[in-house]
Amino acid sequence: MLVEFGLVLLAGLKFGAIYALAALGLVVVHKATKTVNFAHGAFAMLGAFASFLIVVHWQWPYWTAYLLIPLTIGAVAALLEFLVLRPLRRADMFTVVIATVFLGIALGEAFRLTYNTELLAVPGMFVGEPFIYWGVIITQETLWVIAGALVIAVGCVVLFRYGKLGRGMRAMAASVRGAQICGYSVDQVYMVAWGLGGALAGLAGVFVAPMAGVSVELSIAVITAGFVAGVLGGFDSLKGAILGGLLLGVIESLAAAYISSAMKNCVSFFLLFFVLMWRPEGLFPEKVARRV
Amino acid sequence: MFRRFAFGGLSPFAAVLFCTALGLALQNYFKYVIAIVLVSMVIGVALVVLVGLARCITLATGAVMAIGAYTSTLLMTRIGIPYLIGLFCAAATGALAGWLIALPGTRFRGHNLAMVTLVFQAVAIILLREAKWLTGGAEGIHVPQPVIFGWRVATDADFLVLIGLLSALVILLVTILTRGPFGKNLQAASGNEIAAEAFGVSVPAYLRAAFVISSMVIGFSGALAAPRIRILDPESFGVLPSIFMLAYPIVGGMQSVWGGLLGGGGLRILPELLRPVADFQELFFASLVIAVVMFFPGGMVELLRRSTGRVFSRRNKQRAGEASLLPAIIPPEPTVHVWPTVPANSSEVLLRVEGIDRHFGALHAVNAASITVPIGGIHGLIGPNGAGKTSLFNIISGFLEAEQGHIDFAGTSLLDRPARDRIALGITRTFQHVAVFGQLSCLENVIIGRGRNAVMDSIKQSFDHFVGGRAREAAIRDALAALDAVGLADQASMPASSLSLGNQRRLELARAIVSNPRLILLDEPVSGLASAEVEELRQLLLRTNAERQIAMLVVEHNIPFVAKLCRTLSVMGAGAIVAEGNPEEVIARPGVRQLYFGEAAA
Amino acid sequence: MSALRVTDLWVSYGQVAAVRGLSLHVEPGEAVVLLGPNGAGKTSAVEAICGFVPKRRGKVEFLGEDISGLSASAISRKGLGFVPQWRDLFPTFSVEETLVAAETAARRRKPTPIKDIYALFPVLRERKAQLAGSLSGGEQQMLAIGRALVTNPKLLLLDEPSAGLASGITLALVQSINRVRESGVAILLVEQNMEIARAVGERCCMLAAGDLAWQGSMKEAIERNEAARVYFGEH
Repeated sequence: MLVEFGLVLLAGLKFGAIYALAALGLVVVHKATKTVNFAHGAFAMLGAFASFLIVVHWQWPYWTAYLLIPLTIGAVAALLEFLVLRPLRRADMFTVVIATVFLGIALGEAFRLTYNTELLAVPGMFVGEPFIYWGVIITQETLWVIAGALVIAVGCVVLFRYGKLGRGMRAMAASVRGAQICGYSVDQVYMVAWGLGGALAGLAGVFVAPMAGVSVELSIAVITAGFVAGVLGGFDSLKGAILGGLLLGVIESLAAAYISSAMKNCVSFFLLFFVLMWRPEGLFPEKVARRV
Repeated sequence: MFRRFAFGGLSPFAAVLFCTALGLALQNYFKYVIAIVLVSMVIGVALVVLVGLARCITLATGAVMAIGAYTSTLLMTRIGIPYLIGLFCAAATGALAGWLIALPGTRFRGHNLAMVTLVFQAVAIILLREAKWLTGGAEGIHVPQPVIFGWRVATDADFLVLIGLLSALVILLVTILTRGPFGKNLQAASGNEIAAEAFGVSVPAYLRAAFVISSMVIGFSGALAAPRIRILDPESFGVLPSIFMLAYPIVGGMQSVWGGLLGGGGLRILPELLRPVADFQELFFASLVIAVVMFFPGGMVELLRRSTGRVFSRRNKQRAGEASLLPAIIPPEPTVHVWPTVPANSSEVLLRVEGIDRHFGALHAVNAASITVPIGGIHGLIGPNGAGKTSLFNIISGFLEAEQGHIDFAGTSLLDRPARDRIALGITRTFQHVAVFGQLSCLENVIIGRGRNAVMDSIKQSFDHFVGGRAREAAIRDALAALDAVGLADQASMPASSLSLGNQRRLELARAIVSNPRLILLDEPVSGLASAEVEELRQLLLRTNAERQIAMLVVEHNIPFVAKLCRTLSVMGAGAIVAEGNPEEVIARPGVRQLYFGEAAA
Repeated sequence: MSALRVTDLWVSYGQVAAVRGLSLHVEPGEAVVLLGPNGAGKTSAVEAICGFVPKRRGKVEFLGEDISGLSASAISRKGLGFVPQWRDLFPTFSVEETLVAAETAARRRKPTPIKDIYALFPVLRERKAQLAGSLSGGEQQMLAIGRALVTNPKLLLLDEPSAGLASGITLALVQSINRVRESGVAILLVEQNMEIARAVGERCCMLAAGDLAWQGSMKEAIERNEAARVYFGEH
């Protein structure tokens, strides 16, 4: 009974860690640019696909996937910001949402055309002996996903908070005009934010590929989970994104195990609904100083 | 005499009938295609109302269609309800779905709204899939052939006729709504919320109505298409189809029924035209939408308008010509004054503001402020930046709450009443940053100013307008009289956004006087105007005050203007009223000078 | 070569011509005040000079270089410091973090050391860990000026720094602006408050309804009571 619970919890944390990574990327972009990138899920899908290419197709060592993919997807994301989003900088939110939604669809379709199969399988990175604690089986892969994704996420938050790279984005998030007065270039900061968001999405894709396979549905699953986790945590809170992701993963896992697999989505959506209606600032918001 | 303006908007209806007739003349395969295309046109038109006019993103179209389709099909198969009644029930459940989405939906815009609708979409499909006992789950259910009063709808031609007639009817109904006051008020509500509320247009109520009406039509279209599709399964109403249907109003053109027709029809026919490159369809589709959003935001309608520019400019001239004829046709009597006339110099108090207090955190923005405006009087409110004038003004006009104090208007308390109640009480306002409804014509802007803009009223009025009833005559007459009073009668059919700033300010004034209010609140009415225009507006305000007995409360920075316009003046400093009285005398006081200049008062 | 030279500036927001053909210049080390009532176009003019608002017509030269078409951040990097009317601080940044953020942005251009900023505004050193959003109005103003100074500007543009401040703070404000000027930075001050204008400015330009109504030395402005004429429309 307890063992079963432990397994469910573990599965929840595994997916939760990936949701955390995905949500983080979404929140970073939103914090810096005030827009939600609905193509974020597509970036994750491209990351998963790239992982397939590197590991299965070209048979390079697995660690290269973790290194090259965030760089490539990040670059692709920055390029798309320059090509599509910069001309729309002055447009209203409605237009930007539409543009990113269909951008995601276009990317998904482009992928489907290159590899016209339903689902691509990618093996895990670690396939060795699992550990067993208190009767609960923990595979090496699970441990890697949870630890790796969380370390990367936390590292990102630290980088954002204390590093030079993050300073411009945080300044832009706090006040666009104030940042410009300091000399930060809006064009540069936005591109970097998208690059970082894309890199995180790509990484999420690499982590999730062995668990879910590569398919167009992955795109929608990631953007939905990322968005819900972001809202749960508080959409402008980086630590909220991580905690929200973990919470979402665990709740979905519990729902799938104890209610039904189909209902797991319903449960997370109801959670989203409640948070939006009654605690729109999220469950783990960052502190906000009151303006005097 | 007004019949020539009535029954406008029959052209979409005619277009649909034309397509139906065209299809009947072609082979069976095309009959099938055109039938499906017509349903997409209906969806496109419904989405124009929600996505175009109300500016609400929805990713739930598939789910609402599914709800309608399953409703009518299940009623037919389980209970044996006839098809036509099933259609109405589908519309009803569609409307219910729209109302459910609107509950949280009207609170959000942009990406949060998109997410709420996505949630609804996903949950609805999951529920449909899981309720196998009811819906047959993922295997789907078979839709029987409809029987209408003995006529079995079986052949392609039968379907085309059925779908064609019903589509035309529904599109006609939606056209009546969008072209009438309902559509105009909806555009106002989504275009400029604050100005809309100031004239009695309740933004949440209109957005909710947009959700309900558009979902009603979409549910109906689901039931209409169901027998043609023959087998219903939840996946075909999933997220991706919903997103693609969102493209209909965007590509077609978001502000008019024609946009829905062109977008829905055009995009639905695309797969047929792109058969040779079927795989690239969706990619092409998505790229097309991105291109439209980036380079042709007006969609196909705008593109056609530009390329057939000459045809339309002739139409515009014709419209302008018609408008200039209207004053001659209309009898010159404006609508009877509702309020009793009182001499302009009456000392009876119309508006009494007492002891208003308001803080923003530690800042005491308004400090025990009191103002009185006599009936028919003109009262000014001046003060340096940050003195609290705007806060006090917003409290009086209903856009900000006071913490303490009273506001008494001709015996009624205004405190705690929302902004939208004011027009019915006889108070209107203008805005510092001009808040005309840009996409609407001048005439339409002023008609909104008449008030009586509740959702149900405007729906009734829309049908009345369509048949050219008396209400429409009265509306146009009042509006033209107001436009004439401010000197804009010849611009009546021009879109408000095309006017110069000075004329837009006049338009705001026309909108504010058309309901014959007792008090107009003017917020920096001459901000940004050149000195000649300032003088013109001053004359206009004096004339309006004299002819129509309308009292005014004017907030301004332009002190010479205020001195020559207002009969009484209040000066605010650091949240409190520091002086009041006759303008010349007040301005000359050292205390007032000090307020502006600091210690070194001249 | 003037520190700042504005020639025939026209600024419009859609239909509104907020500034009509304004020309002015600020010499290195000089302090010029742009005076006028609200709605006169002062804020529009400086926002256009700093690149936050597009110009319809006109030229802006900074230290001899044409900056008319540059973006706001590019203009800031050229050495034109700006303290906007509502300060635009980062509410969740502490005082220290704000100054460090400006320092990071300016790291390639020899930023002013933060300790010099603290020397100019000792009260900021006292509050260096406090969040900018929780500072008092006067402290926020000092932080905004300090942040602009970190980027080592040759000209500092201040838009109504006294707005929303209690009248007791104005003395401290005037003193800090004068100290900045003594260190060699030219000043263009936009104000409504004559008292501050007198204490800071050597020259004065009066704006009314977008037009330059008068310009001359501050002494003359006071003697001839120009302000009353412009504000109240009388002699």
